[in-house]
Amino acid sequence: MLIITRRPGEKIMVGDDVVVEVIEVSGSSVRIGIAAPKSIPVYREEIWTAVQAENRAAAASDAAQLPEDVPTPSKKS
Amino acid sequence: MSDHAHPSHGDDAPMAVTLQSTRFGELQIPEEAVLDFPSGLIGLGGRTFALLARSDESAFVWLHSMDDPDLAIPVTNPWRFFEDYAVELGDDEAERLGIEDPSEAVVYVTIRSAAALEDFCANLRAPILVVGNTGHQVINQAPVAPVRARLFSSLDEEPSRAA
Repeated sequence: MLIITRRPGEKIMVGDDVVVEVIEVSGSSVRIGIAAPKSIPVYREEIWTAVQAENRAAAASDAAQLPEDVPTPSKKS
Repeated sequence: MSDHAHPSHGDDAPMAVTLQSTRFGELQIPEEAVLDFPSGLIGLGGRTFALLARSDESAFVWLHSMDDPDLAIPVTNPWRFFEDYAVELGDDEAERLGIEDPSEAVVYVTIRSAAALEDFCANLRAPILVVGNTGHQVINQAPVAPVRARLFSSLDEEPSRAA
């Protein structure tokens, strides 16, 4: 892994199109700005990991387990 | 000819593409039903998919990869199970999808099946939004949107509905 020391206001280029900027350092938190082309989605890693795990679990679904006739929960009043 | 013509057998029948599926065998899909996912599914990839349903009334629809015979995810209309469900997009995300409001998209949530209905879960945090023939799995910014929400939990809470 490349490790770079930056100060607030300084930036990092990832390729020609992605800019990562350190906005503010406060205690144990760092605020980071990311400018990327629209075609590149940006995720918090923990959310990305959770969604990937859920996508994998969903992709392991067994067609035989899906009911044809689904009981629909009754509406709450 | 409409843009969403049903398969016909005339001279101007829409082009069909073949979908190979380990679950369902070989299927012919009308070309206009193929969805492009520019960023794939989060963490899974895939570029083109089709939605497969047994009927218009089917609660569960398969989002099936056109390229990987093994990659398919059951999805559903979230409001069929979660009537208060809300999807909120960040400005960047909406711009990426080319919409101003999630109501302009057709929304699906992915389903994790299980041996027992009570253990079926939907991912309310990362819905799939279809805009035209383009699909995107997005991160929902709504405050309450768990990655795993039980589909049939309200069945447990209502003994009157128990068999």
